[in-house]
Amino acid sequence: MAATRTRGSSFSRNVSTVTSQNSGLKHGPNGTTFLSSGIPDLDKILGGGYTLGSLVMIMEDAEAPHHMLLLRNFMSQGLIHKHPLLYASASRDPKGFLGTLPAPASAKEDKTRDLTNEKDLRIAWQYKKYFDPQLNISSNNGAQQDYCNDLDLRKPLDRHFYSGMNVGCVSIQDSPDLASLQDQCAKFLSQFSRNEANISSAGRIAIQSFCSPQCKFANMEWHMLSFIRSLKAMARSSNAVVLVSFPPSLLSPSCSKRLQHMADTLLSVRAIPDEDKEMAKLLTGYQDMVGLLNVHKVARLNTQVPVILETTTFSIKLHKRRYLVLECLNQAPVDGSSGSSYNTSGSCSGSTKAGSLDF
Amino acid sequence: MAESICRSLRDGALEGELAPTLTIKDSLASPFSFNVFSHILLQLSSQKSQSHGIVIVALSRSPSFYADFLKNKGVELSSSNKWIHILDCYTDPLGWKDKARKSGNVNVVSDQISLATSSYKSVKDMDKLFLAITDLGRGLVGENKVRFCVAIDSLSKLLRHASLQSVAGLLSNLRSHDQISSIFGLLHSDLHEERATAALEYMSSMVASVEPDHHSSENCLSEKNFTQGKFSVRSKRRNGRVRETSEKFKVEAEGISFASISAEDGTTVAGLLPKVQFNLQLSEKEQIDRAKVVLPFEHQGNGKPIQIYDGRRSLEESSGEGAPISRCKNEDSALGEIIYFRDSDDEMPDSDEDPDDDLDI
Repeated sequence: MAATRTRGSSFSRNVSTVTSQNSGLKHGPNGTTFLSSGIPDLDKILGGGYTLGSLVMIMEDAEAPHHMLLLRNFMSQGLIHKHPLLYASASRDPKGFLGTLPAPASAKEDKTRDLTNEKDLRIAWQYKKYFDPQLNISSNNGAQQDYCNDLDLRKPLDRHFYSGMNVGCVSIQDSPDLASLQDQCAKFLSQFSRNEANISSAGRIAIQSFCSPQCKFANMEWHMLSFIRSLKAMARSSNAVVLVSFPPSLLSPSCSKRLQHMADTLLSVRAIPDEDKEMAKLLTGYQDMVGLLNVHKVARLNTQVPVILETTTFSIKLHKRRYLVLECLNQAPVDGSSGSSYNTSGSCSGSTKAGSLDF
Repeated sequence: MAESICRSLRDGALEGELAPTLTIKDSLASPFSFNVFSHILLQLSSQKSQSHGIVIVALSRSPSFYADFLKNKGVELSSSNKWIHILDCYTDPLGWKDKARKSGNVNVVSDQISLATSSYKSVKDMDKLFLAITDLGRGLVGENKVRFCVAIDSLSKLLRHASLQSVAGLLSNLRSHDQISSIFGLLHSDLHEERATAALEYMSSMVASVEPDHHSSENCLSEKNFTQGKFSVRSKRRNGRVRETSEKFKVEAEGISFASISAEDGTTVAGLLPKVQFNLQLSEKEQIDRAKVVLPFEHQGNGKPIQIYDGRRSLEESSGEGAPISRCKNEDSALGEIIYFRDSDDEMPDSDEDPDDDLDI
């Protein structure tokens, strides 16, 4: 099985440190603060996590439920860190969804993932004997584990995490328009307004399947666009992260494009065909993959410098069928008889704000 | 595969999951979705499945048609009240005949149907339809955990009467109802906007398309198109992958038959992926193996001097003579000397040092 770490460079410019007051928040560059997405690999890819004050949008695939994995981990991580949560969905009973949130993995299983930070190069150097054996760099991991837990998708979260008063659930199925949801979001976000220097607490809003067809406002595109716009403005001036997932195939192309441009961080999930022999030949680890994740845009607040990622497409795998793992796509060894081994880069770059250079 | 669709519908829904939903899509070029629909209906009526009853929402065909159809296929209708019930939205969907009858002018003749039928007169109201379906179903199977299956004769007809939002709402309510085991319905895709079709596909877990054969798409009037075509299914599996299968189908007097396609029509995967790189990371097994490799110039920590095979002698001889070869270079001055003349006087003295002295050999 392929290794579980993504191919991030070990030299990272965005040095982020854990804030001492509250777990779950991390200082980032340019005066921003991060909170964890619940998926350690995604935090690494995004340079620390989701930026406070940003709007994260996930483009769903009509054929796969992978956006639910991202949503679940986001919500669960927030509950573990005691961030107040507001969850809205188009089902009749959104509270039932809380029962499917993953719990943090037990401590014993945590260690096996980041086990050895092996020395990459062994040098036969005669002065080596004068030095102490190097301490493992995993001393940093202790603080990291607190910021982002490994969430076990097979274990449901304990009820006491979400039975408190800090979790609100809203059903948007029967409401004729988005005004009531907007009011609830405004009320929720007013708790976290960004006036003081210290951040007392951070909030999370998760909206699932924003324009699903059974909502009465699904036809009112301008209304939905203005809702998202005001939500983004409210989020910008508060210490919260808003996560919205929407199916772009159900909207008109212009509306879908506008929503994509409004996002600060834009991700998309895609389904992969099952038992596809061509794909199995092309990629290693195809058997374990459940889908693909594309990072189109990464939020950059307070700066003009865009984030340029090495790769923008990652495969979603379930490690031991419990932990969500994102990996770079790796090509299977090509035997000399077959034809060209490079594909044209497909639909991996969406909007152009973070000019993704794919070599 | 038609077989696997029927199997998924028969297996039904797991606890806490949405019910599997099948949408059968066709178009004018190959309008055989009703044949597929009736085939599936037959399969579900005759074979064992999770559902103990079927509710047919009949919009485009009358209940007597269904009664005759099932009778012709040999399904016994005498005890059918226990497991099948038709919600008749065909005879009087909007309640006009009722109004006409009340005004006294029209005599409506009701036919005798051997299947249990309830008439429904307000097709525009999806909430009421949902209640009617669930009441009928509960009437069939009782109140416990027993489930029933819902067959919607034509989603296209529903979309004619009601808006997309309400039909989608109906479907989502049906899917999340805990007594419904599976749902299937048919749709004529060229009658609706793409958005409507996309929305219904979004809500279904399986989409079956009935299409004409590729090679005969130029002459739509060829006889072949009237009897056969391609049947492709995209099903969303639980692990998030999409399984796509294709078959050929042929419509005969007795019904519809499916056969597998011989030539593979491979879809290109190339458009899906960006450039991929080779895997430069090691699996755990590979890491362990690498740790075991004995590097030739390294002390292994067991006190023995390193044997370096330099290719000139065979290994047995070198066991005796290995010692002088493997010692550090300082000792071979007994055999020969290297005399070094400096190139110029301002050369740094450090350059005299043998850089290999740093190594631990």
